[in-house]
Amino acid sequence: MIKKNFIIFLLISQLLSSCITQFIPQITEEKELLVVQGLITDKQETDTIKLSKSLPFGHINEATPVSGSKVFISDNMGNSFGLNEINKGTYITDASKFRGVPGRYYTLHLSTNSDNLNYESLPIEMKAVPPIDSLYYEKKVVEQPYENFKGIDACQIFLNTHDPADNCKYYRWDYSETWQLRLLFDVPNQTCWISDKSHAINIKSTAAFNEATINRLPVNYITNATDRLKTRYSIEVNQYSLNEDEFNYWEKIQNVAIQVGGLYDIIPSSIPSNIHCIENPEKVVLGYFSVSAKSSKRIFISDNFEGIINQYANCVTDTIDTDKPIGINEWIWILVYHKCSIPCSSTFEITTHRECADCTTRGTTIKPDFWMDDKK
Amino acid sequence: MKLRNLILIILLLATSKVGAQEKYKLSGSFKDLTFKEFVAKTEKLLPVKFFYKDEWINELKLGEYPDCSTLSCVLDNLFKGSALFYVIEESGNIVITNNYAVKISSLPVEKDNKFLPPSDFSSLSETQRTAEISSVEIGNPAEKNNPGKAAVSGYITNKDTREPVAGVTVFIQKLSLGAITNEYGFYTLTLPRGIYQVKFSFIGMREKTLNVNLYGAGELNTDMSSVLIPLKETVISAQKSVTLQRFEVGAEKINMNSFKLLPTSMGESDIIKSVLLLPGVQSVGEGSAGFNVRGGSADQNLILLYGAPIYNSSHFFGFFSAVNSDIIKDVTLYKGGIPSRYGGRISSVLDIGAKEGNKKEFSGNAGISPITAHLSVEGPIIKDTLTYDLTARTTYSNWILGLINDPSIHNSRASFYDFNGKITYDFNKNNKIDLSGYTSHDAFRFKSDTTYRYNNNVIALKWRHFFNSRLFSSISVNNSSYDYEVSSQYLQTEAFVLAHKINSTGFKADFNWFLGRNEINFGLDLTRYAINPGSYLPYGDSSVVAPTRLQMQRSWEGALYIDDKFLINDMLSVNLGLRMSSYFDFGPQTVMIYNPEFSKSTSTIIDTLNFKSGKVINKYAGPEFRVSLNYRISDKSSIKINYNRTRQYLHLLSNSTSISPTDTWKLSDYYIKPEIGDQVAAGFYEVFSNSFEASAEIYYKSIQNMIDFKGGTDFIMDDNIEKDIVNVKGKAYGLELVLKRTEGKLRYSIGYTYSRTFVRSISDFSEEMINSGKWFPANFDKPNDLIITFNYIFSRRFSISSNYTWSTGRPITYPVSTYAMYDEVLIHYSDRNKYRIPDYSRLDLSFQVNGNLRARRLIHPNWTFSVYNLLGRENVYSIYFKKVGDLYTGYKLSVFGRAIPSVTCSFDF
Repeated sequence: MIKKNFIIFLLISQLLSSCITQFIPQITEEKELLVVQGLITDKQETDTIKLSKSLPFGHINEATPVSGSKVFISDNMGNSFGLNEINKGTYITDASKFRGVPGRYYTLHLSTNSDNLNYESLPIEMKAVPPIDSLYYEKKVVEQPYENFKGIDACQIFLNTHDPADNCKYYRWDYSETWQLRLLFDVPNQTCWISDKSHAINIKSTAAFNEATINRLPVNYITNATDRLKTRYSIEVNQYSLNEDEFNYWEKIQNVAIQVGGLYDIIPSSIPSNIHCIENPEKVVLGYFSVSAKSSKRIFISDNFEGIINQYANCVTDTIDTDKPIGINEWIWILVYHKCSIPCSSTFEITTHRECADCTTRGTTIKPDFWMDDKK
Repeated sequence: MKLRNLILIILLLATSKVGAQEKYKLSGSFKDLTFKEFVAKTEKLLPVKFFYKDEWINELKLGEYPDCSTLSCVLDNLFKGSALFYVIEESGNIVITNNYAVKISSLPVEKDNKFLPPSDFSSLSETQRTAEISSVEIGNPAEKNNPGKAAVSGYITNKDTREPVAGVTVFIQKLSLGAITNEYGFYTLTLPRGIYQVKFSFIGMREKTLNVNLYGAGELNTDMSSVLIPLKETVISAQKSVTLQRFEVGAEKINMNSFKLLPTSMGESDIIKSVLLLPGVQSVGEGSAGFNVRGGSADQNLILLYGAPIYNSSHFFGFFSAVNSDIIKDVTLYKGGIPSRYGGRISSVLDIGAKEGNKKEFSGNAGISPITAHLSVEGPIIKDTLTYDLTARTTYSNWILGLINDPSIHNSRASFYDFNGKITYDFNKNNKIDLSGYTSHDAFRFKSDTTYRYNNNVIALKWRHFFNSRLFSSISVNNSSYDYEVSSQYLQTEAFVLAHKINSTGFKADFNWFLGRNEINFGLDLTRYAINPGSYLPYGDSSVVAPTRLQMQRSWEGALYIDDKFLINDMLSVNLGLRMSSYFDFGPQTVMIYNPEFSKSTSTIIDTLNFKSGKVINKYAGPEFRVSLNYRISDKSSIKINYNRTRQYLHLLSNSTSISPTDTWKLSDYYIKPEIGDQVAAGFYEVFSNSFEASAEIYYKSIQNMIDFKGGTDFIMDDNIEKDIVNVKGKAYGLELVLKRTEGKLRYSIGYTYSRTFVRSISDFSEEMINSGKWFPANFDKPNDLIITFNYIFSRRFSISSNYTWSTGRPITYPVSTYAMYDEVLIHYSDRNKYRIPDYSRLDLSFQVNGNLRARRLIHPNWTFSVYNLLGRENVYSIYFKKVGDLYTGYKLSVFGRAIPSVTCSFDF
């Protein structure tokens, strides 16, 4: 909440004719640090630990995976579970052998191949999590720039939860979303399902509240700039229990990550992970080993939202002669059939961009298992 | 008619011709008459009139004087052995004086040529020749051949307003000896007996020279008249003789007249801004709240108004000072050599002296600038006795915001006001009471969901008592508080009000005792603090926020101090000071005990301690030595050396680069130790060609137990702040060079400072280490700093002034690598403060027009045209990084991205 200081400050400075320009810092160091993203849950699922290297600031390439490491998880009952590398840098548990139990303490152990260093997390308790009570959306009318303008709608998805036992005070949420896409043209790959995941860390504490109740927690906000809501949309939200240390970790990460460097921003610094190097405790490790119980909920949305921008508005079609070579100019022909209902002199092929005529450029034609079609 | 104003008469005498004393013959016997009866009788017989004070002659009875046939003979005999003197004027006025004789320069020369009245004025400069010159005798002429020195002391008052004038230089050229009047207008000098010319000078006052025949100890009171037309003098700092005389290294007095000439940013004269022009004072950015003195953090400055501490010194996040400059009489910044009467902060003391209301007549000032409108009125309620001074200032920025079409700004609010009032009551010559009050208020609202409010409130009562001419006391009580409130209705169910408050009540008994060559200052200083660290309460009925209040903190800070300024000889003087400082933190309070093998966190709590109400949780105490040495090499140069230690029990918790109004105050407690600062400084001062002044000062400072924070901590509503704190220590050193020209039409000052400030974390745990425990530059470490100010006075009506500032950019921490967690891109940072923002450079210019010089005119308009950042340079205020999509981009913000012109108009009435 104090973050708003800076906004107010900007407001004043606006009065004083301030100016903001882009700035490229001259950075003289390149750091490659071990990044651990690990999460184990109480569900009968494979859990994933990802190891990679951090990227120099300003680079946008894919992170380099850290391959060939030995990874295992131990608990306070004396059990130990090994993980297998399925992709480079991605290590998974065996779902048939390992499943987290709330109340137990888990420790992550790593040995990297390249430099032969051993890493270990602190023992972390798995806290039980209550189910999500409800997941719902509200249509929001975005301010109309002009009168008599057909409104623009956006969609805000909320969540309510409560913990009757008052055990779980710290939460994290993420989601995966899937929506149906139907192209304008009658083509073979006309209907697809597109999926995406959350890209932000969403946490909340009920420690300051009388009751362990969370109402109207904003989960996702969908603007009219995407076609998610055009046909049918589905979202599954996962709710994770956190212990206080992990909550503090994410809070600090956000404090120094959302906006940094300003005079009224928290002075940035690296946030210590719960994983440390045994041989060299001063070595900086990024990331966190999370131990959380998990509950999930899914909803479908089929509603009429005004003002959704048509991403296919630029999909012009053109006709070319069949005699002419395929794929000339910038046109990539995809559409073949245009049947003349009235006798016509010859057959034309109608062409357009591939993106306009093949939905697999964005998604898959395979209907997901969980998908339920609109009953209407 | 009773003698009301001796000095006026003296002046009168000085300019009038005096006849022979034998003019008045007396016959008959006056035996056993009281003096009053004698006067009545004589006034009937002769065309004379007596002037005296009843209290001087109460005991006096006339005797038999058989040999006397003249009035003067009778008076000579009558006053023999008493401290009374008389003078008979040609017109028949007979003036009786106590303790010193009035001597008229045209009187016949006495035979003893040791006491020749000075008659050679040819060596005097132009200004001195026009100055008022009179001649006085001090002490009993009979003592003139006694061995040893005699002490002269007295009060200097302003002729027009009757207020004491502090800071007047009393100087004796012949001996190169001088003194400066203290805040009561009092001075004291110890001199060999003889004839002297005593020169009184002060900025804005007509210089005055008195010829003194010093026979023995006595008083020399006088008054000075201000320059009739309110001409803005343009001297940038204290006068040169002051510089050489002052004991403290690093004490800077800001002259209000020159301060008002400085170019302004938004048409507001601003005291903190002018403090920033002094060498050794820096800030993290223009328009940021707070300032840093010689490597100290912003909370290490004690800002005193009416003797009470001000906890938030700025409006609008630091764009304007919280104290209206209209009320200021003078401002002193002690950046080193802090006298022992001040305590509680490590780095500096900024003592804002408020003016008193005019004792003679009603007057006022009103003005308007692009941001504010202000009004001040002053005058007597009872002439010469009871006066008031009231000042108010407010913004009309809400109205401006409303004019802006952008809805997010349109619905925002930003405003402030402040009010100062002072009532002064002079019971009599020896007792004076003043009651002062100050309140300031700021309010912000961004869009319509979150509102910020903050307030300063001060009330102070001061009683000054003069036991005798050698011992004064000043007893004061004050209460000062600061509070803020943040309320948000962004979500109805989570609407809250977050509040914080600090309240302090202070008592101070201060004594000044002039004892021969010693000037002793001693006293007692007591402060009681109460802090509400935070309360978080629901706002509205639908809010589910649980009301939470952090534990109150209560403590006492007490100190006894003594300070002796001692003149060893004409060349060498020392100032020895000691402040015994103590601090007690009281319950009720619950304190967490942590496992000492781990860094403190909620998971390492092993026990809790409960302290009952009134029980001492922790106490800290220690001596603070303040020592300085002043060696005058010659008339024109001196060397000063000093050492001082300061302790600080109150800390401002801030984890951002600049302090903000929503930072919270925290007292030392079970875990947080007092900060201790030690500073050694030395300075060399030289005056040459009479109008140039140069100085060089060096210092080294070390600070223990400073507070920093574990990475990313946001400690709002944190009851156990110790778990987020990192203990750091600091060191700072620097060189400050100043060259000034202080006289003539063109006056300037060039100041260059090289200074470094480093901090270092001290801990056994890696979580509490910053940059692995190595020294790193502090946020305000700006090694090079150049400040040039310049004034040119065309005439009494027109003047131009300008200042230029250049400094190294402040340190900054840059992001050096990125990584992703759960598809969110995150950043990892360089070592703290490894990089720097670009250099800062700015030129300002202002032009002043005083509308009319005729003194009788009802209203005097004054216009100031100024341009801030004349070169339009886009100085970097801050550099920040923001995530756009999955990519972080750097931005540079310049607050004053172009030249900002402003016009200020004010009227004196």
